[in-house]
Amino acid sequence: MIPGTILVLEDCDEDFETVSDSARRAGVTHQILRATTGDECMEILRRGDSLPALVLLDLNTARSDGRDALRFAKSDARLRSVPFVVLTTSANPRDLGFCYESGANAYHVKPVRHDEHLRVLGEIFHYWLRAVALPEKHEVPTKNFNSTPR
Amino acid sequence: MSTPIAPPPDAPLPWGSGPYSIKRHGVSLTTCESEPVQAPGCIQAHGAMLVLRLGDLVILQASENSAEFFGETPEALAGRVVAKVVGAEGAARLRELIDREPVEGNSLHAFTLPARGAAGALDVCVHTVEGVAVVECEATGRGEEIGAVDYFRGVKAAVGRMQAANGLREFCRRVTEEVRALSGLDRVMVYRFHADLHGEVFAEAKRADLAPWLGLHYPEGDIPRPTREIFKRIWIRPLPNAAGPLVELVPLANPDTGRPLNMTHCALRGASVMYTEYLANMGVAASLTLPILRDGELWGLIACHHYTPAHFPYQLRAACEFLAQVATLQLKATEQSEQLVYRLQLEGVHQQLVAMAARDGELMALTDRQPSLLDAMEAGGAALYHLDRWWCSGKTPEPAQLDALAEWLNTRPDFTSAMRPVFVTDSLARDYPAGADFAAVASGVLAVPLSRTRRDMIVWFRPETLQTVNWGGNPHEKPLVTGPNGPRLTPRRSFELFSESVRRRSLPWLNVEVDSALRLRMLVVEIVVTRSQRLAELNVDLTRSNEELDAFAYVASHDLKEPLRGIHRYAHQILESAPALDDENRKRVEGLMRLTVRMDSLLDSLLHFSRVGRTTLELDAVDLNEVVEEALEMVGARRSDGTFNVDVPRPLPGLHCDRVRVREIFSNLLSNALKYSAPAPARIEVGYLRPGEPAPRPGAPAESAGHTVFFVRDRGIGIEPRHHEQIFRMFKRLHGRDDYGGGVGAGLTIVQKLVQRHGGQVWVDSAPGAGSTFYFTLARGEAPAPP
Repeated sequence: MIPGTILVLEDCDEDFETVSDSARRAGVTHQILRATTGDECMEILRRGDSLPALVLLDLNTARSDGRDALRFAKSDARLRSVPFVVLTTSANPRDLGFCYESGANAYHVKPVRHDEHLRVLGEIFHYWLRAVALPEKHEVPTKNFNSTPR
Repeated sequence: MSTPIAPPPDAPLPWGSGPYSIKRHGVSLTTCESEPVQAPGCIQAHGAMLVLRLGDLVILQASENSAEFFGETPEALAGRVVAKVVGAEGAARLRELIDREPVEGNSLHAFTLPARGAAGALDVCVHTVEGVAVVECEATGRGEEIGAVDYFRGVKAAVGRMQAANGLREFCRRVTEEVRALSGLDRVMVYRFHADLHGEVFAEAKRADLAPWLGLHYPEGDIPRPTREIFKRIWIRPLPNAAGPLVELVPLANPDTGRPLNMTHCALRGASVMYTEYLANMGVAASLTLPILRDGELWGLIACHHYTPAHFPYQLRAACEFLAQVATLQLKATEQSEQLVYRLQLEGVHQQLVAMAARDGELMALTDRQPSLLDAMEAGGAALYHLDRWWCSGKTPEPAQLDALAEWLNTRPDFTSAMRPVFVTDSLARDYPAGADFAAVASGVLAVPLSRTRRDMIVWFRPETLQTVNWGGNPHEKPLVTGPNGPRLTPRRSFELFSESVRRRSLPWLNVEVDSALRLRMLVVEIVVTRSQRLAELNVDLTRSNEELDAFAYVASHDLKEPLRGIHRYAHQILESAPALDDENRKRVEGLMRLTVRMDSLLDSLLHFSRVGRTTLELDAVDLNEVVEEALEMVGARRSDGTFNVDVPRPLPGLHCDRVRVREIFSNLLSNALKYSAPAPARIEVGYLRPGEPAPRPGAPAESAGHTVFFVRDRGIGIEPRHHEQIFRMFKRLHGRDDYGGGVGAGLTIVQKLVQRHGGQVWVDSAPGAGSTFYFTLARGEAPAPP
């Protein structure tokens, strides 16, 4: 099985390292791709041959942000089934509302305590990469058309 | 014609039957209103009268006293041509006047009949009315002591002086002076009718020794309606000897038509017994009355009294008539210029008021400064409703009465009309019975609304006229004279009776006053509108700054938390990766981590507090008993677990409030009560006091009166009174950071904010060792409370 990718939108280096630490601790073998702006995130999603197994979104990044990326992905038929998990500092109800309305699959507030931060991330990886049943493969549509119908 | 000369034939006549004659029927009348004053059947005996058929000038009727003047009895004169009495030349002159001059209803001097024997020279005047020619003959009085008077020169000078007058009252005063100078009569008055037809002595010229009547008011009944009607059609009414005899026309009815003579325009017309008695009761022996008209309506009278019988020769009458006509012509212009002066004065003061109010941005300036609403309008009091209360100046009804009046006004179509929103009355009690309670200060009301949605308004009040004027004939001031026919025929038989006609009435409001009130309203509304525009702009600014605050809090929480998380992370990693760290450094790094966590909770509280103040309340019917249960769960306590005891002695009432916010109020207060009861098991009471329930509420703010007060009481450590205010301050803690379970010190600040959002107050009653009771009201939630 080809290990998939995890796309992380995170402009803060420390927080990204925490994501990496947590993934390592959780035994995640996926390749972790990082974007630091919403534009970069969307670019990766558009260009990539295969779809990521999970997208972790910070909401507030420079220039276009996580909200733009979320809206873009969830309005795209090809990307819609990819789980998008928001992980942000904001506990603002308005942000929560926006994200779920835009199709986010989960929303987490980043804890300030490092151990809790690690624990939250560990649970996210466990839940979305192991516990949850998702469509078998995320493939680009062209491949879908070429496959032999059963 | 508004008053018929004779009643319809089949109507019962007040005086019995047949043509009316003062001599026969005068004293049988009970009211002036029914007296046929135009057709009294009699003339004053100092002159003689002939009634001629127009076509052939044949005598139809002649006065009883014809023999004294013409040497022939009426019976002898009847059916003869007038030339037999006045000669062919006189008859020709009469014919000429009748055919060529405007003599219909207008008596003209025809010629002077020379003295013959005992009868002196006679002035002969003629006018036509209803198909007959009326010839009136009176002694000239000339050739004797006053024969040389040059009335023309006198009148010319008089008119000049009258025209130079400044203002209406001054003008009228000069009229009285000029008429008195011309006539030599004892007292000359200008008697002015008010809109309610009662009258006032507006100007007076008199013999120095007479008591002044200037400023006295007389009820409407003193000059009855039929008399007022006649004065619209004649220029002069002479009565040279009020007590003098009357003589009838013979026959009483015109033999051609069967109708009595219409004497409206006759100088010799016999006076009503009512009137002569009226004069007699005042000691007046002769009167001369001239109307002053405005726009065809009777504005007033020039009333002249003489205390001895007088003589009013034709030329004097003509001169006085001329002055009265000049007065009539001049009156309107004078009145208009005076109104203009008043209008300018009103406008001037109103402009000042508006400028003041605009400068202050507050309408109260209209009532509590100099000048005020009362300085312009002639009113006894003024009231302004603004900012939910009355601002009064002068004499006004009580605020509760004003409230009721305002409510009533707002139901009136005239007051609420879009085009001309004004209510004006000189007798409030007539339309608004409750107004009778304060008729003394506010019989007259002039009110304009300032706002269509709220009940802001300006109201001027005028006192009852009875309170303000001197009533002529007030029995409290001078003894009542009973007439020779008993009190029944005395025009003013009792003060009570005629004061009834002006009870609960004020002097009427002038058009210029109503117009000025409307203009003031427009100017004030403009200020109000400008102000509400400014408020709207401020609101936009506030909304914007609230949004900015929101963004700030958001950014602060996010941007401050990110480095905080980084710091915590590095500290965490140092601890993990360097197990050999010595104790001291380990403690320092642990301290670093603790501080970041604390700062995190401070940021959270700040964020929460800023959100509490701005989010919209979602009001709903809420059972507070459930809310308290939920709040207990939130603070992690169960009622039965033994560590504490929460007592709700009686079920809490239902409220219309924001469930989540009110739960937060309770959870914060319960959490505090728990915290500060430790280490002993907490004993907490949650309850409420209905308005009026006798219970001590120390420290209760005045605004809480009349509202249900909720409380959360503990038996904990209590708070020193000097801290009672501080505890509601953000991040204020009275104890060490980690004592009593720690906390950032935002709970009570948030409680206060939530209570305020519900229109309530929160306060505390506490003393060290005596526990604390937190009280609060939720005024906004009480309105439609479920039973």
